[in-house]
Amino acid sequence: MDKFKHFGLKILNAFKRVGLFIVKGIPLGIYNFFKSIVFAIINFFKRLKGAKNEHPNSFKRGLASFFLMGLGQIKNKQWYKGVPILAIFLLFIIIEIATSGYWWALSGEIANYPAEGKLYFFRDYGGLFTRGIWGLLTLGAVTTYSTYRGVDIRPRGALFGWDMGDNSRVLLGEGVIVFVLVALLFILWIVSIRDAYKTHLKVAAGKTIEDAKSFYKRISEEYFAYLIIIPALMLITFFILIPFIFSFMVAFTNYTDNISLGRELIEWHGFDTFVKVFNPEEDWFKFFNQTLMWTLFYAFMSSVTVYVLGLVQAIIIESKYVVGKKVWRTIFILPWAIPGMIILLLFSNVFGADQGLLNNILASTGSTDAFRGFLRSIGLVGQASEGNILWFTSSANAPLARTIIILVNLWMGFPYFMLMITGVLTTIPKMLIEAADIDGATSWQKFRYLTLPWVIRGTAPVIITTFTFNFNNFGMIYFLTGGGPGYPRSEIPTALIGVAPGQTDILISWIYKLSFESTVNQFNLAAAYSILIFLLIGVVALVQLSRLKSFWEEE
Amino acid sequence: MANYNEKRQKPQSTKSRLKGYALKGNIKKGLAGTFIYGWLMASLTIILVPILWMISAAFTDTENLNAVPIIPNPTRWSLANYQEIFTYTGSTTQALPDYPRAFLVSLGVASLSTVLTVIFSSLVGFAFSRYRFHGKKPVLLSMFGLQLFPSFMGMIALFLLFNQFGWLNSWPHLSLIYVAGSIPFNTFIIRGFMKNIPLSLDESARIDGASNVQVLRKIIIPLAAPILGFVAVDSFMKPWLDYILPSILMPENETVAMWLFRVNDNESQPYNPMLFMAGGLFIAVPIMMVQIYMQKYVVYGLTGGAEKG
Repeated sequence: MDKFKHFGLKILNAFKRVGLFIVKGIPLGIYNFFKSIVFAIINFFKRLKGAKNEHPNSFKRGLASFFLMGLGQIKNKQWYKGVPILAIFLLFIIIEIATSGYWWALSGEIANYPAEGKLYFFRDYGGLFTRGIWGLLTLGAVTTYSTYRGVDIRPRGALFGWDMGDNSRVLLGEGVIVFVLVALLFILWIVSIRDAYKTHLKVAAGKTIEDAKSFYKRISEEYFAYLIIIPALMLITFFILIPFIFSFMVAFTNYTDNISLGRELIEWHGFDTFVKVFNPEEDWFKFFNQTLMWTLFYAFMSSVTVYVLGLVQAIIIESKYVVGKKVWRTIFILPWAIPGMIILLLFSNVFGADQGLLNNILASTGSTDAFRGFLRSIGLVGQASEGNILWFTSSANAPLARTIIILVNLWMGFPYFMLMITGVLTTIPKMLIEAADIDGATSWQKFRYLTLPWVIRGTAPVIITTFTFNFNNFGMIYFLTGGGPGYPRSEIPTALIGVAPGQTDILISWIYKLSFESTVNQFNLAAAYSILIFLLIGVVALVQLSRLKSFWEEE
Repeated sequence: MANYNEKRQKPQSTKSRLKGYALKGNIKKGLAGTFIYGWLMASLTIILVPILWMISAAFTDTENLNAVPIIPNPTRWSLANYQEIFTYTGSTTQALPDYPRAFLVSLGVASLSTVLTVIFSSLVGFAFSRYRFHGKKPVLLSMFGLQLFPSFMGMIALFLLFNQFGWLNSWPHLSLIYVAGSIPFNTFIIRGFMKNIPLSLDESARIDGASNVQVLRKIIIPLAAPILGFVAVDSFMKPWLDYILPSILMPENETVAMWLFRVNDNESQPYNPMLFMAGGLFIAVPIMMVQIYMQKYVVYGLTGGAEKG
């Protein structure tokens, strides 16, 4: 009895800690975060003032680079630093001017086509960068088939494009790319200001500064490392970072399917989408809530069940009674060795309603009615019709579909844990077992106090990874049930017909449907849901990452 | 002491005591054995029946899944499904039948991303394990920060991006996404492995006048071959049967995963689960063999490799 009490207390304690973390830890963390930002800003200005008063000449060098990138370096007689920085800056300016219409603006086009309402100067005449930033800020201003500056705006326009309608998606995309480029320039700017200031400090203190030769030597030694990582970083920036920033931004717009090209423009809508997600009076909230609950339940259950079964199988195969351990293990590995997608599509056929392995077996043995009755008595089946069991298609059978998902996940997931736990079992020191034998421990005691703790200690982190993996296991739902069965028609408000999730949809599969498959694609909602998933999973992953000591040991 | 004496006072003949013990032990052993073998047989059945059914369906000439024998039946053996998938062509403009074509596209995507992933992540891993440079820690941290973003977050943006640049339906561009996505994790693994290669090896090579590239090619890469092999297999498997990205970015250039999904989806043309069974089995068998062969490394890579970092 004491054991149970102890166990209960342990669980209570864990809950208490989680609760404390939510109530106290998270607000405190947010408060500290903002506090540190405010202090960093105040500190920065204090240091700036200090620098100005104590080293006015060095401050001026920094100021020179502030006004013209690289000027401070050139004044420091470090032309080998100043000229390349200046060249990069000039390159940006040249691109800006070359891609702009400033010339047309100066040569009197504005007078010829005056704007009646507002003139969007950067829209009409800006270069790559100014136009990109303008587009990012406004997401377009002129719709197709309206009149702007006395010209009817048509889908395709003339020379420089100001008489063409705006396409918010393009503006957003280009804007994000420009934003990243400008951010890189900004970083270079800051670096050059700091460098000009610090170098002059050294000069003022009478220290020697490095000459061109030693600078280039140092750079070329570092150069190799940069050279080999830069292509990879560019790939990551273009295919991961920029799409991520874009998606993040979409959540704060009104971007849905209603926005057809150019006819209507995307607008910044602040937190409107998040209000839609969290306001209990919105129709979306109910579905989000139910989907989230099911996602959490599914992810939890599917991680725990595979772990337990993996443990059981590993221990049974390792037991002394079993002959031919290797053969058994190889057979049990099969579900893991077959690609998951193929297994899931196979099981979608096993549980087919009209043609399916299970219904076929039940029908040919004449036990359909008995089995259906049994499932009904335990509350899994509620279908009105007799005949075949509608595993995934009857909206009253949702509990059945959900149970099957967890069972199929168990079928395909346990071998991995079996393999892993078998591996961990072999690492238990023989000495420990012998010592336990000498002390007269029963096999249950050996299992409970020796094997189990050892295995859990070795594999606990993997349970968390499995949880996060399952949380986003798109294929599990999409290939097996396709999200079905749907909610009963009476429960779906008219506004949400065609976009509501199915009863087995998890968040990720619903997001996919919202973005690409529904009748009215809701890109902003999909993006908002992804941000929520990211926050949830990101926190778990960060905790996981922070446990890897070697990661933080990097100098 | 009293207890001990009590026991001694009721002596049992050695023979009968041994016999009783053996009998009791046998029954216990027998029960446990029966239970364990019963359990193993039940597991075996549940695991094998769907797989056997799939094999059986792949080699049975029928249109209805209900007509497929659960256990493969040699008398109904037929290659009709395979004939169908290797000859059926949906559109007249393409040179190859649907299935072989999809197979080749997937092979292209997976091979290209394997090659590029191994090259890029061994280079980055080498840089991070051997060099000190400005911005090392921020770059490393932000790379792993980025890795936390689930890839689907960028789906909408990737679609627009590909649309904008005219890259839709182009498989080399698709494979670049997989490469970008798998660099961080693989870098992590490779860097951990390379850190364990003694620095004295490079130093002695450098004294002999080896350049950066030579150190990498002649010393580090051969020693890191096992982990590179693991990375290669892993980065082949990921894109090989991925569905989401190709279904969005290559709507008219089918991969094998898209083909499998299409023939198994009762809303699409042609719907024929028998073709899925045949085509799926054809793909599953080689992968299954590789996986069974690689099991040690895979488990190592996901636990040991990450733990060691």
